[in-house]
Amino acid sequence: MKKRVRLLPFLAPGLALYLVLFVYPTLTGFYYSLTDWDGLSPSYRFVGLDNYVSTAKDIVFKKSLVNNLKFMLTVVLVQTVMSLLLALRLAKQSKRNIAFRALFFVPTILSSVSVGFIWTFVYDPSLGLLNGMLKSVGLEAWTQNWLGNADIAILSVAAVQAWAHIGQMMILFVAGIQAIPNELIESARLDGANPFQLFVRVMWPLLAPAAAIVVSYSTIQSFKAFDLVFTMTGGGPNYSTEILSTYIYNSAFMNYTFGKASTASIYFLVLISLITVLQFRALRTDRVSD
Amino acid sequence: MGLAACGSTGNQGAAGSTAGPGNAASNQPSSAPSAEPVTISFIHWRGEDAKVLDGIIKKFEAENKDIKVETQVFPSEQYQSTAQAKLLDGSTGDVFTSFPGAQFEAIAKAGLFADLSGEPFISRFTPGLIQAGQKDGKQLAIPYQLVYNIPIYNKGLFEKYNLEVPKDWDGFLRVAETLKSNGIIPIAFPGADIGPGQFMNPMVMNNAPDEDIFVKLEAGAAKLTDEWWVKTLSQFKELNDKGYFQKDALGTKGDAAIALFTQGQAAMLATGSYQLAGNAAINPELKQGLLAPITVPADQAVFEGIHTTTFMLAVNSKSKHPNEAKKFLEFLSRPEIAAEYANGTGQNVTVKDVAYTSKELQIVAEWTTKKTRFQPRFTIKNAEVQKAVLGSIQAVLGGTDPKQAAAQAQAIVDQQIGK
Repeated sequence: MKKRVRLLPFLAPGLALYLVLFVYPTLTGFYYSLTDWDGLSPSYRFVGLDNYVSTAKDIVFKKSLVNNLKFMLTVVLVQTVMSLLLALRLAKQSKRNIAFRALFFVPTILSSVSVGFIWTFVYDPSLGLLNGMLKSVGLEAWTQNWLGNADIAILSVAAVQAWAHIGQMMILFVAGIQAIPNELIESARLDGANPFQLFVRVMWPLLAPAAAIVVSYSTIQSFKAFDLVFTMTGGGPNYSTEILSTYIYNSAFMNYTFGKASTASIYFLVLISLITVLQFRALRTDRVSD
Repeated sequence: MGLAACGSTGNQGAAGSTAGPGNAASNQPSSAPSAEPVTISFIHWRGEDAKVLDGIIKKFEAENKDIKVETQVFPSEQYQSTAQAKLLDGSTGDVFTSFPGAQFEAIAKAGLFADLSGEPFISRFTPGLIQAGQKDGKQLAIPYQLVYNIPIYNKGLFEKYNLEVPKDWDGFLRVAETLKSNGIIPIAFPGADIGPGQFMNPMVMNNAPDEDIFVKLEAGAAKLTDEWWVKTLSQFKELNDKGYFQKDALGTKGDAAIALFTQGQAAMLATGSYQLAGNAAINPELKQGLLAPITVPADQAVFEGIHTTTFMLAVNSKSKHPNEAKKFLEFLSRPEIAAEYANGTGQNVTVKDVAYTSKELQIVAEWTTKKTRFQPRFTIKNAEVQKAVLGSIQAVLGGTDPKQAAAQAQAIVDQQIGK
């Protein structure tokens, strides 16, 4: 106990930052969620849980939530599978693999606003690179109005979100693969395991901790996405790409319902915490040793 | 949780404040001359005008040695979030700008506009063009720019195919058909961003000639499911179904639509007069004009077009230097300075007796004598209602039946107005 008390001064700076940058804004957000503050006026009223009820009933909020789930599932699925495949291919230490890893990592370091603008041009239905490429290889029937078609717009943006962060996830898997003892793989091979069996029986259980991190990180990142959606579609057409973060932004800064936006933020926080806890439980790393 | 962090900033004005927000300036006037020059802050969103405004500011500072103007420019989206929050403590934005509509209403409600009624320089503006800055009988802001939110058309292409500016809906469809049959895209429509918000204005102006129609919508006295809006949506659908917009219009952004128009592939551009100068810069050979689709028979047309007055100049009620800020507005309102701004930026202004030198500004000046109405979109005070209205246009262009799209949008409107 005494030892812990002695450690407190060392923890204080971090704790102070945590209190100021997370706990205080969260509590303030909760406080405003109980008011009808417009974000500018000097006065406001306490409205109790009214914002929680009206937000839960809000058609646009519900649409945003559904869109966010679609967006998240697409990103997590694409990102996890693709980054794992890339990691399996590029895990071995060689100059060529290191170069490729760096190449796949580049989008991660670009600002998402820039990525959004670039992909808006790529997706342009008439002048864009994507439709142009499809046409040039005789796949004109596959061309799409990628961001203008309400049925696929959210998937188009999700694909960009996945692309932009695949490098990051790949590195996590690469680290996981490199941590697997070589002897285990060699033994499995000597026992006659084919590549599929090697992966499923030996590598995947040992990669579970990395997978848990990738899936959780990807979930949180895709749930919090804002810049890409904002720059690429602004939530349109007709709310088809409206997600929780754009809903919150619009409520606060376009519609001047700061109290309601704070309520949506609280819902957002609860939801993302819940999903993260469920994921960690589902991908519990101690199962490896079960 | 970033939102909550912003909230804490806002708390400065919020926590138990009982003083009227407009009182701060009057409590701390700074009319007394001081040895140190006073620096006033000017914030706005028009980065493209920065060079011209910098030149004007230099002249102002030369004339007023004791005043310095510090400018900050924010992109328009950022202006909505970051800049307006900065107004709250009075340290930024002694002079600031506002959009008409939802933003103007919110800032007015927060009491951040200093009352400019009775300032002598107000008389330099065309009275009918500065109404968007008035509320409760007070002049809270002065719209500086005058814009016509109606399509630009390529006069050369119209002459080539012997087309005249149509006076009714059938005529508009005939013109579009002729252009299409000659391989020209009738209307370049930037459906992915500004298109619906711009083109809805002339499309609805004669279908609902009541200038308060959207005010009534927000009051629950009119509905999007009524004939005036369903007809407007049906006409959007007709234009789209007949191929009078470019293919995949909903995926086309402003730049791409402008490219189609300036390259002569499209005969009309569904934006507004603010784009005339930009088009001319891209293609100096273009002969441009403005036209509005008349969606009714000619004898039922009440309006010829749409106008908007925006880039509303205002003084922060919490400014510590209100007199200096007003001096700056007085300077901007001088016809010769307004002319310098207009001709330098390619934007018409609301100041009277301004000499426009460019061809594009003269095109707009011609429209000042026509019967136009204030942009309907900006009469919608609730941004979510505005979004629902625009969303119904996008839904129709995406294939939804106009009645269904109108009903879906009305459900959001009902929710917003608490019906």
